[in-house]
Amino acid sequence: MSSIPASRPSGSSRLFDGVLPRARHWLISIGSVALGLVVWHLAAVVVVRDPVLLPGPLATAQVLIRYLSTPYPADGETLIGHALVSMARVLAGFAVGSIIGIAVGALMAGIRGFRAMVDPFIEITRPLPPLAFVPVLIVWFGIGEAPKIILIAAGVVPVMAISTAAGLDGVSNDMLNCARCLGASEWYTMLHVRIRAAMPQIITGMRLSVGLSWTSIVAVEMIAATAGLGFVILQAGQFLNTSLIFSGILIIAALGLAIDAALRRLQWHLDPSMRP
Amino acid sequence: MNGEVGARVEVRSISKIFRRSRQVTQALASVDLCVEPGEFICLLGPSGCGKSTLLHIVAGFIAPDAGEVRVDGIAKTGPGADRCMLFQAPTLFPWLTTIDNVLFGLRARGAITSESRRQAGELLELVGLGSFGGHYPHQLSGGMRHRAALARALINRPRVLLMDEPFAALDAITREAMQNFLLGLWGRERTTIIFVTHDVEEAALLSDRVCVMSGRPGRIIATEEIALGRPRDEVLRDTAEFVSLRRKLRERLADA
Repeated sequence: MSSIPASRPSGSSRLFDGVLPRARHWLISIGSVALGLVVWHLAAVVVVRDPVLLPGPLATAQVLIRYLSTPYPADGETLIGHALVSMARVLAGFAVGSIIGIAVGALMAGIRGFRAMVDPFIEITRPLPPLAFVPVLIVWFGIGEAPKIILIAAGVVPVMAISTAAGLDGVSNDMLNCARCLGASEWYTMLHVRIRAAMPQIITGMRLSVGLSWTSIVAVEMIAATAGLGFVILQAGQFLNTSLIFSGILIIAALGLAIDAALRRLQWHLDPSMRP
Repeated sequence: MNGEVGARVEVRSISKIFRRSRQVTQALASVDLCVEPGEFICLLGPSGCGKSTLLHIVAGFIAPDAGEVRVDGIAKTGPGADRCMLFQAPTLFPWLTTIDNVLFGLRARGAITSESRRQAGELLELVGLGSFGGHYPHQLSGGMRHRAALARALINRPRVLLMDEPFAALDAITREAMQNFLLGLWGRERTTIIFVTHDVEEAALLSDRVCVMSGRPGRIIATEEIALGRPRDEVLRDTAEFVSLRRKLRERLADA
């Protein structure tokens, strides 16, 4: 919708767009998280009453805070240390996967035959669970960092390829022709118009991919890992240390949110129409 | 830059056939057209008659199957900054502010100088967007976006403006304002303008000459000189002369 420039209405009038005002949106979100914690606490303390089955939020927080700085006795590493190891794996896999995925997506958008060639492979690999590849990756690449990064990257590639191709396809011919008749060369049009116009959608693909990378971290760290949040969760499970499992899960959630916030910030920067 | 802004555009026996799967469509059949420097002509025709295709060929976006386009006697085979196209949608670049949109042509051609920003500001002033340079396209109204697109086209001092039903999507009031604005601008700059429309009144009001095109295969079946004086204002629309001219064009169009 075209809007009136200069001064835009804000606050209550936004209600009519079906969007809650910003402050109220935040209040409701914070309230629902608080409510979730209360339900969790009641379920743990009143209903289950067994910290091995379900530790409450307070007990979990205690364990979480203790092992942030103190190494866990079984593996001699703090949770921060584990988090850094997992973060490095996720970022490496995400970076490798993004580069390959963007390149594949660009070729799909640019070369007609290439898309027909690549499409079936993308459709086949997308629904496969990362866990299924663990044994074969160990056979092929051993138990070092390589198979871990490859496993994460393998999940990222199809998502990035699809969103990049869709982003580049979505740029209208009129917009490209517009650049050409303003004197832009084919190269300049490709770089400064087609790719630039597809950027918001490519970043959306990246946001999906980062989430996906974290979802495969436990599978990744089943590959003979000796550190990392997935490793902590697997270990804690064997020792029935449920509050440590929850601590690992909470850290993964926090890191996932943090990276997503950074990418959202980048998107906000690249796409002015996201701003009011 | 030549002394005269407008260029002569010659379209010589242009033909174009589109093949989609097994369907073959003759879009244009040997179209000839000569537009004098600084002339304002309208291509008038039913939708799907190939008038838009003809404009795209003149712009160099698509290659004809036969024939050639000459601008001031020089054959053109690709797009260039000498012929600027304005589309039905303003197609501003949404990630650039209004002033950066206007500067796009200069940046793309590597022609940016310390003077460019002031020049772009003046153009925005000219189209009535002087204080909107820092706004993004989504913050502008429909009419404002069209005027910004016009300023963006004008910074290259194009010798030919190609307009593909640029005001068709606007509401009646904004459209009339844009038509008057365009006439005022053309009166000063004397750029050659080829304007595609399916609106009889718009064609009669704006142009020096109306070329009526027939449906598939597209060809020019009638040419009508519009001998009305300029400047043309709202009062003109109600004169007997204008009404009879409009009727004549409508009859020609019905024959198409």
